[in-house]
Formats: sequence, structure tokens, C-alpha cells
Amino acid sequence: MAYKPQYYPGNTSVGANRRKHMSGDLEKLRDISDADIVSIMGHRAPGADYPSTHPPLAEMGEPDCPIRQLVEPTPGAAAGDRIRYSQFTDSMYNAPAIPYWRSYWGAINCRGCDPGTLSGRQIIEARERDIEEYTKVQMDSEMTDPALATMRGCTVHGHSLRLDEDGMMFDMLARTELGSDGNVYYSKDQVGIPLDKKINSGKPMSEAETAKRTTIFRCDNISFGGPCTAESRSFDEGLVALHHMWERRSKWGFRPE
Amino acid sequence: MVTKSDTEPVQIEIFPRKFLKPETAECLLGEIYRAGGLVRIMIQGPNLPKAVPYGPGKGLPVDENRDLLLKLGDQALELRVKVGRIWLELESEEYLEGVKAACERTLSFPFEIKRKRLFHTKPTVSDYAKYGSEVEDERVLGLVDPKGKRERDLAVLSDSRGD
Repeated sequence: MAYKPQYYPGNTSVGANRRKHMSGDLEKLRDISDADIVSIMGHRAPGADYPSTHPPLAEMGEPDCPIRQLVEPTPGAAAGDRIRYSQFTDSMYNAPAIPYWRSYWGAINCRGCDPGTLSGRQIIEARERDIEEYTKVQMDSEMTDPALATMRGCTVHGHSLRLDEDGMMFDMLARTELGSDGNVYYSKDQVGIPLDKKINSGKPMSEAETAKRTTIFRCDNISFGGPCTAESRSFDEGLVALHHMWERRSKWGFRPE
Repeated sequence: MVTKSDTEPVQIEIFPRKFLKPETAECLLGEIYRAGGLVRIMIQGPNLPKAVPYGPGKGLPVDENRDLLLKLGDQALELRVKVGRIWLELESEEYLEGVKAACERTLSFPFEIKRKRLFHTKPTVSDYAKYGSEVEDERVLGLVDPKGKRERDLAVLSDSRGD
């Protein structure tokens, strides 16, 4: 029988969503053009050549190395692209992704990337053309709700704050705005530099939709232990697995001689 | 700050479920002001910088955060925060219902009103640095951030209730 990875335990919708994110089996909800993604990232002008830090690997004459023969370079590495980044902030109010799950998604599904996990933001670094591809997947798929997740390269404050009246996550640089047509528009790139034209990043999800798609356990939505009442005291497998890990960790660390 | 009173003042915090737009904040504060009984108001929330503070775009203007004015009574203050919390001191308990009604009229989402001790009563070291050893009017205590400027962040309202 072929091995099937079991990414995350649990029977809750949050557990299922976490498995989806980690496996990369994501639903595509919108299609933002490559040029728009490049504009929002702000590292190069759309259509411009990729600046490089070294000649293409094919021209460099690599040393005889079994690992290099085994591992095929990513397109960005083969071309000698610069390392660039995209960084997202996800609201704690049921944003679809959270920093850890963006990182798991990146580490499992994206070759040649370096995910960085922080409390309120998540950065992925990779060769320029690779990171553009990875960013597009994130922005097009169910990992991102335009109102609750924004690409923010700096001044990321807002993930743990209450939402604005229109349901948007607070952004002190006002990079995104809710248009009169109900779509969310980027008016600035990820570091707050104004764009030539506003970029449509799609319609925000409804509250019911975000509650369904989120990877965040919240007591006002899906709690960590799953539905657990006075009558039913069986915790979700996600919490049982965590207890198991902590128990083993504690016993492993505790070594009475 | 509006009136002086010899009744026992009450302090309350209004905590809306969402951040208020400048227009909503102005509308709410206007309603509260007209309800009367105000001794002092403090508004709090995350900063709205006038320019990008970090990164490659540092120094670029953030036009959305400029020229935000909060008009209340006969005064106008520059709004420098996204309003997320309002502290009020009222002359007495009888004005509580008016404030609650003003919130219900203005806010289309849930909010909490909690009664508690909010403003400090004795001058702190920051107050000493800001106001000197003798505080002229003790109602200013706790109204302005330690690093805030009194001239910029504090307004004294008349007793006309906007009439």
C-alpha cells in the first residue's frame, strides 16, 4: 500500500483545514494575474528582467557532487535569481491561514524556500521567480481571505486587533481598502509604496465562510478539544496527540538516575 | 472637559467590538456630548502614522491618515488613532443611561460598557515632567500619553453641549 502522509490529527474542521494546507491540496478561489502579484510584492517592475546574483548554473560549471546530481535546481536557482520575500499577516479573527500553517505549507510544498514564522506575520524567502509562483498560490487559494490576510512586508501590526467596521483587518499604512463593488483592492505594495493602479484581490469571505475555512482554534468557533460538554468528555484527537507529545517530552527530559 | 460638579462622578469604558471609523467616532462622541454630564473623555486605539515608519518606503506619506479631524462641540482635534476604546467620566450615575442610549443609536455592532476606576488620581512622574509640581486642574491627569503633547492631544470643551 502506498504511503499516505497523515499531516495532522483530529476530526474538527480546523484539523481538516490544517491537513489541507499542509498537503497543498488547496482550493483555488480567485485568479490574480502574475503582473499584479509582482506589483504587490514590489521587488521588480512587472515585465522587467530578473536581476541575478550569479550566472545561470548551466554556465557556471558546477563541481562534481552527488547531491547536485540528485537535486534538480528550482527555476530561480538555475537562472541565478536574487533571493526575495513575501510576507503575510493573518488576522486572529478566523483568517484562513496562520503563520505556522503558512510555514508548514511552504516547507512541505515549496522547493528551495525558507519560511520564517513569527507571532503576527509569516515570511517566505526564495529565489525571485520561485517566490512569485509561491506567492501567487497563496493569494489565489483558500489560504488567503483578502479582508483578513494582507501581504505586508513591514509595519505588520494588526493581526491581533479588532477588525474595522467594514470587516477589514486594521492596517496603519492602509495598503488595502474595501471597494464600493465589494472587492478588496491593494492601493500600495507590501511595504506601503503606492501602486500605479489599484489591484483587485477578490471578494472577502463571509463570516460563516471564514469560520468554516479557518485553521485557527477559537473558543467562539471550534475549540482545541473539539465539542466537549459535561455529557461528552472525549477530547478531539488533535488535543490527545498534543497531550501525548507533551507527556513523552516531559518523561524523556526527566531522567532520574 | 465640560463641567465641574459636586456629585460623585462615575468612570466608564466603552469597548466596541470593532474599530470605529472617524465618522462613527465623531457621531458617537457628539451624541455622548449632547447627552450631558461629561467631565472628561479619553479616546484610545492604534496609531495612524502620517508617514511610513519603516522599510524601503520610509517617509512616504500615508494620505489616508492625514487631515482626520474629530469635531466635538466647539473644538476640533486631529485624530491620530483608530478609535477602539473610549473612557468617560460622568458627573453622576444618572447620565449612564444617556451614554448607553447614544451607543445603541450610533453603533451597529455589539459593544461593552464597563464601570471601573480608569483615570489615575495622583500625579505620576510623567505628569510631574509634563505639568510641574502643581497640577492646575487635576482632571487632566490620565488624559494624555506620557509622550503626548498637551497642546496637540487635549481639548477643553465648553459647557454648551453643542447647542
